[in-house]
Amino acid sequence: MTLTRRGFTLAAAGSLAAPFVARPAFADNEPIRVGWLAALTGPSSAPAIGFDRGVRYATDLINAAGGVKGRKIELVVRDTQGDPTKAVNAVQDMVSRAKVHAIYGPTNSGEALATTPIMARGKMPNLHPGFVDSLIDPTKFPNAFRMAPSNSQINEAVANYCLQIQKVTEVAVLGDTTGYGVSAVTDFVTLFKQKGGTVVYQAQIDATQPDVTPDMLRARNANAKAIVIWSVSTGMEARLMNTRTTLNWDIPFLGHPAMGSGEVGHLVDKPENWSKVYILGFKNCSFGADGKLPPRTQAFVDKIKGKIELKDTILWWVACGYDAIDLIAKAVDATGSSSSEAIIGHWNTLKSYPGLYADYAWSATQHNGFPTDEIVMSEANSQTDGAYKLAPGYTICGPSPQGEGEKSRREPKDCPIEEVMMSAVTTLRAVAHPRAAV
Amino acid sequence: MLASILASGLAIGAVYALIGITYNTMYTASRVMSFTAGQLGMLGGVLGSLFILRLGLPAAIGFVVTLIACAAIGVVTEIVAVRPVLGKLDQHLYVLSTLAFALMIQQVTAIEWSTEPQPFPRLLGIGNGGPWDEKFWLPLVACAAVTGGLEFLYRRTLVGRAFLAISEDNFAARALGLPERNLRMASYALAGVVGGIAGFASGELLLAFFANGAMLNFYGFVPVALGGLGNNRGAIIGGIALGLFQQAANFTVGGVFSSVAVFVVFIVVLLAAPQGLFGSSRARRV
Repeated sequence: MTLTRRGFTLAAAGSLAAPFVARPAFADNEPIRVGWLAALTGPSSAPAIGFDRGVRYATDLINAAGGVKGRKIELVVRDTQGDPTKAVNAVQDMVSRAKVHAIYGPTNSGEALATTPIMARGKMPNLHPGFVDSLIDPTKFPNAFRMAPSNSQINEAVANYCLQIQKVTEVAVLGDTTGYGVSAVTDFVTLFKQKGGTVVYQAQIDATQPDVTPDMLRARNANAKAIVIWSVSTGMEARLMNTRTTLNWDIPFLGHPAMGSGEVGHLVDKPENWSKVYILGFKNCSFGADGKLPPRTQAFVDKIKGKIELKDTILWWVACGYDAIDLIAKAVDATGSSSSEAIIGHWNTLKSYPGLYADYAWSATQHNGFPTDEIVMSEANSQTDGAYKLAPGYTICGPSPQGEGEKSRREPKDCPIEEVMMSAVTTLRAVAHPRAAV
Repeated sequence: MLASILASGLAIGAVYALIGITYNTMYTASRVMSFTAGQLGMLGGVLGSLFILRLGLPAAIGFVVTLIACAAIGVVTEIVAVRPVLGKLDQHLYVLSTLAFALMIQQVTAIEWSTEPQPFPRLLGIGNGGPWDEKFWLPLVACAAVTGGLEFLYRRTLVGRAFLAISEDNFAARALGLPERNLRMASYALAGVVGGIAGFASGELLLAFFANGAMLNFYGFVPVALGGLGNNRGAIIGGIALGLFQQAANFTVGGVFSSVAVFVVFIVVLLAAPQGLFGSSRARRV
């Protein structure tokens, strides 16, 4: 066969054009690779195990339905074990080698503080449930979106519950001696004073301190009307509850969700010692006075019955994991692309997206996606299937079951008057404090 | 308030004293300060909860099995962390070996048991959480029983006198035909039992928590230093005084500052009496 000049030119042009011609067909079938950074083992693994159930359920559901525009979701899972070093290595692997399209996680703030700048350098679309305020900065980290409340929002919600619903202005604030305990107490005290409350006593207690009577007596002598507790130490929290009963002191405890863990239930001397304890909760994942979840969440819980175990985990962890995969899939579906720019651009336009865990809203300048008015307090001793009952004072008109990509709520006329009033209060609050200041 | 200070101060002081005795029992047999003493206390609580609450054994049997297990840990400490470094006592390698073994015990407990405190069973059901609750006086009773038992052992029995003989002069004891290695192992088993009693008796107060080990190691060492190395009476007085002072400081200056207060007093005492309040300064051969 003789090679002519015309033949050579055509062959060269054909081979140069081939990748561009073939590309759409390849991209159509390419899976959407989602990096899932989770502390699945180690001492802080409980939340990640819950998130993981939601992540895998959503992935299986989407893939069983044919994927997103024919593209299956492929999870790239790395167990970070709660170790920031391992999390950093996993991110570098996901970005450079696995070439994921988006990352969900890490699941704790300590790891996220280490990985967020690395993901920002790689312009990697990132959703995470970390609470630390500094993890979100649309200027420094335009790729990072928070789908949980920030610490500021949490403090705001607890302070509002004390001041506006419990009508308590004088509180004692206790924390453990860890870095988290110290900073959480300091932050809450500052905010509570700004909002007009009085902190009559504040202290750090060592988690192994066998007798907490001294601190409780000091709080009582200072005339505290409620005690706000920021600690993950269930032993310390149970001791505080037992001592409250021994002292015959009938005041509410408010604060960290750890007070609602089953461990505390085992450690209190009597079940009644666990009552009048209110922990941080989330509206969409809380039982109302009628004993039911909001319709959208209830529909999800009914759907996963027998498929996902909720008895040994927390519902909002599962819901948040589900929402993360859903948000990534919806971004690819809406834009028809899995490029970083497309996904980030889509998330920047979301307004009140009806998730299971919350109604997320992001913009180019605000990447805190969790509405403050959806943070509520729950009764610590009321856990059923991973969800808690709303604390006294809340009567919330829940959203209706989720429609495809749209959100609908019951009309105010369908809600009892208390619900309407509460909605008005939260709306006013949202106007005054649109989101936590970051 | 005074009743609370006395109740919890005496209780926690008794636990510190028992851990101090655990340190001393191991020290007198081997001249080694074994940092597994606090972990033995922690294991007393954890194993008690395991045998009684999780495995459903009766409290008395659970208590005996706990002590046997703690004695076994004591013996393993001697074999693994003490015996290999006895020849190099002057290099203080035992600090590393016993600390490493203590950390291993703590980490295995955290992994296999829980990183969260677990409940300890009510043993007698006396009291309602107030100053007369059993959780406050059980450690005191245990401390008194251990003190009496050790006095009897050391003063009235042949085995006890053999313990004293090897602690007084190791070489002379061996020259007299005493089985030094076996006696040392028995001493470590005895230390395990004392540590186990401390943890079991204080289980309702401290809960079955892996982190208690480090706390007991730390505070249990103070009465040893205050009372004088190897001096059990000094350890008991030092432990009770420490507990009462710590609780009084808790009430007056608050939890975090009470630790500072405790160690300020500790340093001042050691500056004034380096050999401890009840220890005697030894002549050193030059």
